[in-house]
Amino acid sequence: MGVLYCLMSLGVNFIYGIMKVINWAIGEFFMIGAYVQYLLIVFFLGVRYWYIGVLIAALCTFLLGALVQKILIKPMFVGIIEEKMEYATIVTIAMAILFRNLAIFIGGPFIYTPPDYAPPTRIGPLPVSGNNVIAFIGTIIILAFFFYFLKRTWIGKAFQAVSQNRPGVLTAGIDVLKFDMIAFGIGTALAGAGGALLAPVLLVYPLCGVIPTVRGFEIIVIGGLGSIPGVFVAGLSLGIAESLGAAFINPSFVDIYGFGLLMLILLIKPYGLFGKPERSV
Amino acid sequence: MLTIEKITSGYVEGIDILWDISLDVKNSLITGIIGPNGAGKSTLLKTIFGFLHPHRGKIKFEDKEIQDYHPYHLKQMGISYMLQEFSTFPQMTVRDNLSLGAWVFRSDRNLVKKRLEEVYEFFPLLWERQTEKATYLSGGILRMLSLGKEIMSKPKLFLVDEPSSGLAPMIVKEIYGFLKKIAEQGATILIVDQNIMKVLEISHYMYLIEMGQVKQAGPKEDFEGNIREIIRESLIDK
Ligand SMILES: Nc1ncnc2c1ncn2[C@@H]1O[C@H](COP(=O)(O)OP(=O)(O)O)[C@@H](O)[C@H]1O
Ligand SMILES: [Mg+2]
Repeated sequence: MGVLYCLMSLGVNFIYGIMKVINWAIGEFFMIGAYVQYLLIVFFLGVRYWYIGVLIAALCTFLLGALVQKILIKPMFVGIIEEKMEYATIVTIAMAILFRNLAIFIGGPFIYTPPDYAPPTRIGPLPVSGNNVIAFIGTIIILAFFFYFLKRTWIGKAFQAVSQNRPGVLTAGIDVLKFDMIAFGIGTALAGAGGALLAPVLLVYPLCGVIPTVRGFEIIVIGGLGSIPGVFVAGLSLGIAESLGAAFINPSFVDIYGFGLLMLILLIKPYGLFGKPERSV
Repeated sequence: MLTIEKITSGYVEGIDILWDISLDVKNSLITGIIGPNGAGKSTLLKTIFGFLHPHRGKIKFEDKEIQDYHPYHLKQMGISYMLQEFSTFPQMTVRDNLSLGAWVFRSDRNLVKKRLEEVYEFFPLLWERQTEKATYLSGGILRMLSLGKEIMSKPKLFLVDEPSSGLAPMIVKEIYGFLKKIAEQGATILIVDQNIMKVLEISHYMYLIEMGQVKQAGPKEDFEGNIREIIRESLIDK
């Protein structure tokens, strides 16, 4: 199950890598992605085209994220050199509260249950939920695309460069403020796609982003803030720790094994597996 | 080529680091700026390249007023800037570092390839280490990479901040050799360095800046007479 929350962690880590801002509203973008997906498959597309819904949900959360960055977060960045990350971080917390209340206002305090993307199935002798399988495969595909984009395209390389040396990006003639905006949009789109993929598993309601946020940050703390390889290793180890714990100790306490792993890693490596101490400016 | 008219500039509103600075950079010459630590030399280059915008005054490049332009716009117009701090990307390969220097014309694949070959020809050491990450390079090669990245765009005007800082004398000599060659290939250079003798050697025209103001300006011959005095003063200042 750990892998399913990787999109959340990746969204947070990508935005942090570029802007050094932790987006505490990431769970609300997950929630918005889930609502958009629910509307699409129930009223417009039908459940057969759930994957088109995921793409549209990602696009919507991308646009919303980019817009929010432009209106609310960019003004916190004074000029090109100086940045006020603390203020921007607080803005994201306010944003989370705003979006939750908007969801209650628009959709009511109800839990919506989307139809299943796939019927229950078996892996060998084990019965598994088809929705989980789809969410797993969907996540892997999105992660693969994201990696290809980051490592192989000009824009992806420019993003890597922004995370490593902002002044050096400016002297290369790259419009860094535009990249901030797009990065925020990509981060929120990853969460939105996660919400759309997991909608039949976690259901759709104003607080449906809370659990994925907690699990997402668990992965981040294990893997290291800002580290993208860390997300994969941590997501996988979390899943393995939970499965092993459930199989050999007691399946009722699945969540505890993840936190056990987290404690253990923090004792050995306080910055997470791939994290670095905060760079000084 | 570049004319600065009475600019006042600084990092925050109300606190001026540069006071009424005027300066002229002539086409295809090397102009050197010297002055003690903290005089505002780097601040001046940052203001020219749009990292900072002057509170007052004008900056003209090829007769266009550029004081409100963004760095990416200036890069497109043919200005490059090598930062005093490192301007490379540590976790990326030498090749990717150089390629990003070609960002403004990235859609022209052939031109990117051609420039890359030219820069490798210019700095054979970079060619040898093209697949290595920048973080593993020594100070001298890293400085070559910074220069290489910024000349990928074949700038008309090249702003260079402290190219010798932290390098051994042998390597400083080499770096200055490269700068001279870059100028010979047609770039106009505005250079800042603590190494006053090196700036004097390479420049045609010089400015001495102290406390955010121009103290002395003139062709290099004017400076040769009192250069010892200037060096002594800048040493006492430290
Ligand atoms: N990022 C900054 N924010 C505020 N003040 C700065 C900053 N960088 C430099 N200064 C101040 O500007 C003045 C000039 O610095 P600088 O231009 O770097 O000097 P130089 O390059 O001549 O050694 C110094 O007093 C320095 O303290
Ligand atoms: Mg300086």
